[in-house]
Amino acid sequence: MNHSMRSESLDRRSMMRLMGSASGLGCAANLSQIDALGDQNLNDQLRISGKRVILLWLAGGASQLETWDPKPGRPTGGPFSQIQTTLPGIGISELLPKMSTHLNDTAIIRSLNTKIADHGTAYQLMDTGRVTEAGVAFPHMGAILARELGNIDSKVPDYVSMYTSTEGRRKGSAGFLGGRYNPMFLTDAMMPENIQRLDEVPDIDHRDRAELRDSLSRIFARHHSHPSFDGHNSAYGRVRGLMASDYLFDIDRESETSRAQYGPTQFGQQCLIARRLVEAGVPFVKVARGWWDSHGQNFETHQELCADLDHCMSTLLDDLKERGLLDDTLVISIGEFGRTPSINGSLGRDHFASAWSCTLSGCGIKGGSLHGKTDEDGQTVVEGEMDAGDLYATIFAALGIDHTKEYMVGSRPIPIADFDSTPCYSVLT
Amino acid sequence: MLRHLILVTRQRCSPERRSSKKRRSSKETTPYLRILHLVAICFVCGYCLPIKKGSATENTVGDHDQTVRSLAAIIDNQINASAETSGMTPLLDDRSFLRRVMLDLAGRIPSKTEQERYQALENPDKRFLITKELINSPDFAYHQRNELDTLLLRPLTNDSAWRDYLLEATQTNRSWDRIFREVLVPETSNSEDLRPVAFLKHRMRDLDKMANDASVIWFGVNIGCAKCHDHPLVDDWKQAHYYGIASFFKRTYQTKKGMLGERFDGKIRYDTTEGETHDGEFMYLTGAKAEEPVLNLEEEVLRKYDEQIKNAERQADAESPPVPDFRPRNELVEMALNDQEQKFFAKNIANRLWARFFGRGLTHPLDQIHSGNPPSHPEIMDEIANALVKHDYDLQILIHAITLSDAYARALPAIAKNAGESKLTQHDHLVHTFSHAMPRALTPHQLSLSLLIATKNPDKLQNQQVPEKWVKERQAFEKRSEKLAQELEIPGDNFQVPITEALWFSNSPQMQKDYLKDGQEQLVGYLKNLESDQKIIEMAIATILCRTPLPEENETLLHYLRGRPEKKLESIQHIVWALLCSPEFRFNH
Repeated sequence: MNHSMRSESLDRRSMMRLMGSASGLGCAANLSQIDALGDQNLNDQLRISGKRVILLWLAGGASQLETWDPKPGRPTGGPFSQIQTTLPGIGISELLPKMSTHLNDTAIIRSLNTKIADHGTAYQLMDTGRVTEAGVAFPHMGAILARELGNIDSKVPDYVSMYTSTEGRRKGSAGFLGGRYNPMFLTDAMMPENIQRLDEVPDIDHRDRAELRDSLSRIFARHHSHPSFDGHNSAYGRVRGLMASDYLFDIDRESETSRAQYGPTQFGQQCLIARRLVEAGVPFVKVARGWWDSHGQNFETHQELCADLDHCMSTLLDDLKERGLLDDTLVISIGEFGRTPSINGSLGRDHFASAWSCTLSGCGIKGGSLHGKTDEDGQTVVEGEMDAGDLYATIFAALGIDHTKEYMVGSRPIPIADFDSTPCYSVLT
Repeated sequence: MLRHLILVTRQRCSPERRSSKKRRSSKETTPYLRILHLVAICFVCGYCLPIKKGSATENTVGDHDQTVRSLAAIIDNQINASAETSGMTPLLDDRSFLRRVMLDLAGRIPSKTEQERYQALENPDKRFLITKELINSPDFAYHQRNELDTLLLRPLTNDSAWRDYLLEATQTNRSWDRIFREVLVPETSNSEDLRPVAFLKHRMRDLDKMANDASVIWFGVNIGCAKCHDHPLVDDWKQAHYYGIASFFKRTYQTKKGMLGERFDGKIRYDTTEGETHDGEFMYLTGAKAEEPVLNLEEEVLRKYDEQIKNAERQADAESPPVPDFRPRNELVEMALNDQEQKFFAKNIANRLWARFFGRGLTHPLDQIHSGNPPSHPEIMDEIANALVKHDYDLQILIHAITLSDAYARALPAIAKNAGESKLTQHDHLVHTFSHAMPRALTPHQLSLSLLIATKNPDKLQNQQVPEKWVKERQAFEKRSEKLAQELEIPGDNFQVPITEALWFSNSPQMQKDYLKDGQEQLVGYLKNLESDQKIIEMAIATILCRTPLPEENETLLHYLRGRPEKKLESIQHIVWALLCSPEFRFNH
């Protein structure tokens, strides 16, 4: 962590303290006040347009040793070997052969030390970028990015979260950003709930009654006005537009070739949906792929799951690149933590958060870069240590969002990346 | 003629119990029935008649009513004195008031019958009568239970033992201090089967959350910012406060059986920003500290106890571990209740109730009670907090007084006339004076229940006047409303209707089959059989929005119905749908 950043930040905090005692609840003018009702159009000019994010969420915690940070020949290395990638000096696990030739737009980070290794808390940490704090409902990554990258009256969803092929369905919340930024959540089906019209309500009726609702609301608004009512109407105003985006979830509309490229797995199909969504302008899509929690039979598990990840991720990157979307789309692969270097009695690896890996590809990322280093057995980070806040700062920086930007929640400034975090400039363009 | 009789059993705890600092056995904390009063209200005749004349009960009821009236008068005097009279909105008409107050006290909109009864009632004191009737109704206990559940355990869980405990508490009007004690020290609760362990249990894995939530929820003080350093914005709160509150919870453990206990020792050690290491003391927000007596136990005995506790944590059949004499959570309860000066405990609940009915606290935000953030109306805050203390934390008295006040009955602000001024600034400016109402989004339970009431055939909804029947029906409604309530968003500050809700209303099979169904029991089936389009419109607006149609609405809806004579049933469904999806239905206003 950069020392000058830290002291600057401390200065700012002591400044806040001074301000606080001087003016009670004062706040500086450059802070973004969270007033979900009031500012719906104010920040549009500040919004970063055209940037997208696909988060490949490896629920349960993938092993860094069987993916991005292999330790072949070491007691912790396991049975798999390392393969040389197309990048000089960088080897990854042999379980990711396709990715080994697809790293031109990808940065590998091998030095995450996030400390927390139980699923619930670690999920909160990695999906909000900070340790849960009592009394503050922090928004999840998707909600922050939906707000920063999306348009308020967007006709397409701005935060889609797919959790069909995983355990531990964690919904993610917009926290203090407000329900406007809650995800559209896919669990049981490949289509979001209630996005399609019921057969018994013909389209013309559906439209007519929506228009009737609108005209009654306009009459009501002539007599009563309040931002809360406007928010209600704007939610209904988005319904027909979102319904019209249902085709984005329908991969039958894709060519045979492209469906075949992504393959028959649910993860593959959802990666294809994710590509369709970002292509249509959806700013944040999360695709969760579960069952990585390999306390037993770690190696068989990873053999199976890595094949799926390797294939889908490389196909997705290729597809985005071919369509000219990769420059503006950041693809992140990460879970709540990694897995222990030591191998347990059931040939499994347990939860491990002190030295693990993730990847960032595409938008704003220096392709082919490698950041950080763990010791020879993968037990500790020896170079370039990053925590969740640093990773978030890096993600924001890659997207062109100032990572020191603050939301004012009541009287309290909350930076979008945690206090004292620094972007990892070595993986940024 | 007496249409109905409402029997209310009041349980209160004795004043001695609160004032003494000593610990008592569970026998002594048994509440006794102090008042058993029977209130018969006859709206047809339009007066309230206590049946047992001349008894002590009558006096108590009279005192009670007098307290409520004078508290309401104090509220109004203060609000009137502080508000700019020009900005003061008029009082609501009968039907709008009834909708507001029934959502607030019964947790649902009024049925058509209830609207008609209230309108027909000619009594200058009818606001007093209706609020009193509602507070004594079975509806109130359910609604109050749901509100307390949301306050204490948000996000909602399906913990039925907990919800049953709360219902028992609200049905018997259990005092707030007793609920506080039972929830924070559930191991000494009287209710054998319904020990309210959920509040602590759900926060068990996270001491910070347990400590800060307890402080926010019971005392209106957010100490979270003072964990790593003294609070940067609030001078009152130091790190010592944070670790003070946390210390009271530090020793808490949960047994495998689901019971709670406290260890014999254990302190929090923390580092100050100056780099000093301190032991957390048992310190309350006021700075008062609980002195822990020296633990007179052989090391070996202590080890044995610790072992027993460990076993109980792991094994359901382990014997119950011994209970230490010094129990920190109990100390916290005593200190909070004995805080005569700053009264965080009383002010917090007074402020929270105020915010529930006005959409904004006297002190706002609700977790920021401290010297740097004084209430907008300090006199009201003092009066209502003191009234709670004086009347044994009987929440019903304050709820009744607030809903009886003129301030509560005011309309929303009129549409802005100065085009230049932004809406929000205007509202913000007006809000602090409480000279007008502000819209409040319905809670998940209010919305879910109101959907059921609104879409039921109004002729089949007549049992509210027959308590024996209504108690059962209300229970069934409550049960039916729960599934949807679990899925809806709990409104907080800056509530926005999520798109998922608008999609649910627009496209879910449940909407179509539960609420828009054509059938004898349903509103749609009832409207279909009315003799004229005009009648359909009037009835739809009466049952859903609880009022009469405006001329322009009438015209719009007539036009809609007449434009599609071949699809009458569908058109009725569309009208019902459009009204259910209106902002007017979604909010209490």
